[in-house]
Amino acid sequence: MKIVKLILLLAVLGIGGGATVMYSGIINVAADEPHSDLVYWLLAETRENSIKIAAQNIEVPDLSDPELLLTGGADYEFMCATCHLKPGQSESDMSLGLYPAPPNLAVSNDNHKDHEHGDAKQAAGQSFWVIKHGIKASGMPAWGKTHDDQRIWAMVAFIKRLPKLTPEQYQILTAID
Amino acid sequence: MKTLTKIALAMISTLTLSLAANAHDPSMHVKKAKKANCSKMDHSNMDMNDPVAIAMMKKCMKQAEADKKAMPGMAHSKMKKAEKKDAHNEHDH
Repeated sequence: MKIVKLILLLAVLGIGGGATVMYSGIINVAADEPHSDLVYWLLAETRENSIKIAAQNIEVPDLSDPELLLTGGADYEFMCATCHLKPGQSESDMSLGLYPAPPNLAVSNDNHKDHEHGDAKQAAGQSFWVIKHGIKASGMPAWGKTHDDQRIWAMVAFIKRLPKLTPEQYQILTAID
Repeated sequence: MKTLTKIALAMISTLTLSLAANAHDPSMHVKKAKKANCSKMDHSNMDMNDPVAIAMMKKCMKQAEADKKAMPGMAHSKMKKAEKKDAHNEHDH
């Protein structure tokens, strides 16, 4: 009986504490005020593991068709480059203003080692999942609502090549006919 | 009348301030469709088995064809004659 009472008391205290935090406005949600290291780590680990698990069974198609680079390039320029940058660019209004900061996809994965990307197939599957479904409360939209899988795979094919492109190559591949 | 003047002044200053509120680099917010700058393509270092090189070639060839179609009646021989005629007329003056 004592244990039941203790559990009930703890539950009431937990709910009360949670409600106090929620309604007091004590949590600062400003994007220009970073999380503490612990909170950042908790959120980043949760996000990365969620993506890894969700994308593990995605079948990655052949991404070597040059035509994919043309379709994906044009879409990247209009939908992604503002936040995820392009060759020769190191920052933008969005890359500086968003929190968490969107990764710079114009540089190699080796240059942002805050999380594991897995092998090339795993990385492609994860990119596909993120582009299609987006990430809650991060500024990353779910492009799958308005773009079919083929178009998203084209973006993945382009993103795979992006770190090795020169600004001139990028301009040609992303230009509109 | 005084109230109307005050309202007009407030509206003018609000409009002026809102028009002046620009981001630091407005060009970064403009998305214009741009043609591929194919003259910057470095053919000497291109590996024609590389999908990037193939994609770039495809894009530039398509663009060149589209440019040709856009100017079907352009006869370069006639253009030269016209230029020569213009030059002659200028000489007359």
